[in-house]
Amino acid sequence: MTDKEPKQVTRREFVTSVGGVGVGAVLGGVFLKGFLLPDQVLAVPASEGYLLVDTKKCAGCSSCMLACSLVHTGETNLSTSRIQIVNDPFVAFPNGVTQEQCRQCPFPACVEACPTGAMHVDTANGNVRTVDPAKCIGCERCIGACPFSPARVQWNSEEKHAQKCDLCADAPFWSDKGGVGGKQACVEVCPMHAIAFTKNVPLQNGDAGYQVNLRKGSVVWKAIGMPDGDNGEYASTPG
Amino acid sequence: MTGGYTGKILRIDLTTKAVSTLDTAKYEEYGGGHGMGSAIFWDLCKDKTIKAFDPGNVLTIMTSPLSGTLAPAVAGRTEVQGIGAQGYPVEWFTRSNFGGRFSGHMKYAGWDGIVIEGKSDKPVWVDVRDDKVEIVSADGIWGLDTTEAQEEIWRRVQGSHEGDWNALGSGRDGGRTTQRPAVLTMGRAGETMSRMASLLHDSGNGAGQGAFGAVFGSKNLKAISVLGTGGVTIADPKALMDARMWSMQYAVAGHEKDFIPAGIGSMFAGNPGSGAKAYGPSDQPGVPMGCLGCHKDCRVRWKSGASNGSSCVDYFFYNSYDAAKHGGKQTQAILDSTEMIQRAGLNSYQMEGAILWLNALYKLGIAGPGKKIDTDLPFDQLGESSFVKALVDKIENKKDIGADLHEGLALCAVKWGRYAEDTKTGILPLQTWNYPQHYDARTEVEWGYGSLVGERDINEHDFNTLVFWSPSIAALSGAKPPITAEELSAIMAEKLSPYNDPMMMDYSDAGIYSEAMAKLVAWHRHYTRYYKQSLAFCDWAWSDLYNQYGPKGRGMTGEGEPKFFNAVTGKKLTFNEGMEIGRKIWNLDRAIWILQGRDREMEVFTDYNYDTGAIPGFSTYEAPYVMPVNENGVWSYKSVAGRKLDRQKVEDWKTLFFKLEGWDVKTGWPTRKTLSELGLDHVADELESKKKLGS
Repeated sequence: MTDKEPKQVTRREFVTSVGGVGVGAVLGGVFLKGFLLPDQVLAVPASEGYLLVDTKKCAGCSSCMLACSLVHTGETNLSTSRIQIVNDPFVAFPNGVTQEQCRQCPFPACVEACPTGAMHVDTANGNVRTVDPAKCIGCERCIGACPFSPARVQWNSEEKHAQKCDLCADAPFWSDKGGVGGKQACVEVCPMHAIAFTKNVPLQNGDAGYQVNLRKGSVVWKAIGMPDGDNGEYASTPG
Repeated sequence: MTGGYTGKILRIDLTTKAVSTLDTAKYEEYGGGHGMGSAIFWDLCKDKTIKAFDPGNVLTIMTSPLSGTLAPAVAGRTEVQGIGAQGYPVEWFTRSNFGGRFSGHMKYAGWDGIVIEGKSDKPVWVDVRDDKVEIVSADGIWGLDTTEAQEEIWRRVQGSHEGDWNALGSGRDGGRTTQRPAVLTMGRAGETMSRMASLLHDSGNGAGQGAFGAVFGSKNLKAISVLGTGGVTIADPKALMDARMWSMQYAVAGHEKDFIPAGIGSMFAGNPGSGAKAYGPSDQPGVPMGCLGCHKDCRVRWKSGASNGSSCVDYFFYNSYDAAKHGGKQTQAILDSTEMIQRAGLNSYQMEGAILWLNALYKLGIAGPGKKIDTDLPFDQLGESSFVKALVDKIENKKDIGADLHEGLALCAVKWGRYAEDTKTGILPLQTWNYPQHYDARTEVEWGYGSLVGERDINEHDFNTLVFWSPSIAALSGAKPPITAEELSAIMAEKLSPYNDPMMMDYSDAGIYSEAMAKLVAWHRHYTRYYKQSLAFCDWAWSDLYNQYGPKGRGMTGEGEPKFFNAVTGKKLTFNEGMEIGRKIWNLDRAIWILQGRDREMEVFTDYNYDTGAIPGFSTYEAPYVMPVNENGVWSYKSVAGRKLDRQKVEDWKTLFFKLEGWDVKTGWPTRKTLSELGLDHVADELESKKKLGS
């Protein structure tokens, strides 16, 4: 390993070196691929992949949730989906649907909270933040530490461990290759193309970096007469 | 490994408040949904001649083994059956279904279906959270409209956890979910037991036909709420995911870069939002809305929020009046009008027929203030939402003419002494059994025949877009249809197994009375009973016969249905084996109707179908009737507008159909031989004991 190559940190290294730093560094939307501490230990290697969503394009069908649970666990189960779609069908557009995807946080509070190293940065799979079930003791600190609601770390009550999005790095029930170098089931299955994968670190200030406009320029979207503006308005002529 | 079934069906007796289970395995041969529902009804409803509001009526609300899975346009549909309150002159054992996510949550909660028996002494709702089932007082919910009732139940079930993880059990063993409970409910129309009352779930998912909302009302059952945190076991997960991605090549979702705008012809390849977008104001923003696991997402969430998730006839009952009133444009009036009937829980087909009929009576000077049918209904506001508001108020609260309309169109017409005359002229277009004409029996005969030998408007679009809409719109616009009539007949000869007869597409004056047309109707009855109503493949996507994205225009049907079923269940079903199960279910239904009083003599259309021509715009659809015909050995698309049905020829066609089905041609009753070869000897025994077995 050269000095420039990312290195997976141990739990002790992570907590002692990074715990109070408040990393999550954003420099004009460009995140440092690693955060080098004085002793040259890479503390928080950035994930090499992220999911972006467009809540103004999501139809609320939850196909992504079914695909996620299917490829990871072999059953279709909304409760074990790593992405959560929460839908109130009575609410007016552009509200009513939220797409709650893991943000692969540059500063992963879930990783920091884990006392056993079960929740870790997986350097072998593009630095996705993920769970080693064998090390998980079920304390659920990772779930409590997730700054988002609903928590993007789930408790798998059937297998009794925490779990979260790994960008399909470990999707044993899928013929295709997942992970940052492969496909993501939710992206592939979404009939609205309302979920996208990017290798670029999203803007970390608020939701805007992760909730984007995936409608602009879509031939289908324009043909079916749906609005393409950032706020759900018609930026171009309908139809 | 097997998958798809949870293994148990929830059985609730509202009279005794007993909660028990049925083993799914006993009914698994029927696939799921409708087949299981019919078999359960056969077993549990001892006297099948009772009326819809009798506490002995057995209501089944069933899933499919594909419910809650990733099979496209299947996962969210739920089948409802029982003795309906809409049928006339007999309240037939009937069916309806609805989309959304209710069936998925039944699966996730561990149930293959719910059976409701008896009648509660007080209004109640049923609260299902995984394996915990409670019958709860409906205080504070009874009296609410369909939206309010669902929102109130959401609050009671979710508590402070709305939008967050909600644990249904305790500690680490309890399942958790972010989802709202799936609620099936009825509105004020159901509470007052209107024969126009529907069931509603979420926004826009209605089971309208059959008046099951009124059956809920008769049982003092306001709603059923289901919330599940489990999963559906999949026998071959990789095969299911592969099949889903394979199917996307037949859908818009798989063709972002080579999208074909004119998608008419294939329902599976239809556009997102296509069930609603054209019915609303063109400049109102929205987004497609989809049922659980759908690949197409055909409905719309509107910026106004009014009528979210509604589709097709939910708008069609009134959209032409809106446009006529507002310079040819759809306005907020149609969205608001649809919102009103959905909240009230009124069947949009009955509302469509009611408005058509009442407006005709008004124009004839028969209905109106001080007229023979004395009403203050504001006909001058037809096209505004205020007209619908007034009509809904009258029906659900039994005021003014609403007191009679509340009983459904047929009984209302009988009471007003107008049934015979108005179904002869056609101003009351009840095609069969108190079901307003949907598609025209005189032109698109497979629709009419299917409804006639069944018990309701079939509402199955397998051929409709191909034989009617596609060539008719092409004729209107001067464009070429996507395929020629000859190509269509060739595709159907391949797809419509086991008959495989190209002449099944012949809608000529001779063809509509032919044996080939009997085969088409039989194929349709058997296919839909199994694949669409038992396995729950959505009518707005399946069957997939012609597909503009498919190889040489071929859709997935034949290959697709068993591919998904087998991936989920681990079985090795062939397409034709499924068709045979459909034939079995169809015969079982037929036997129930016969016990209710059905015979050949009853199976006639209302008079207007024989006495008046099929004139575009006269009844429901403002389009010409251009259809495939084979004349002198040559295929073409031709207008058949103006055609009447010939009474004797319809009778001759019935004889051909009954022979094909193995039924007694004199009575229309199945024979022992037919029932026995389908494994229905116990049904034959029952018919024989009632002296109703065919010979």
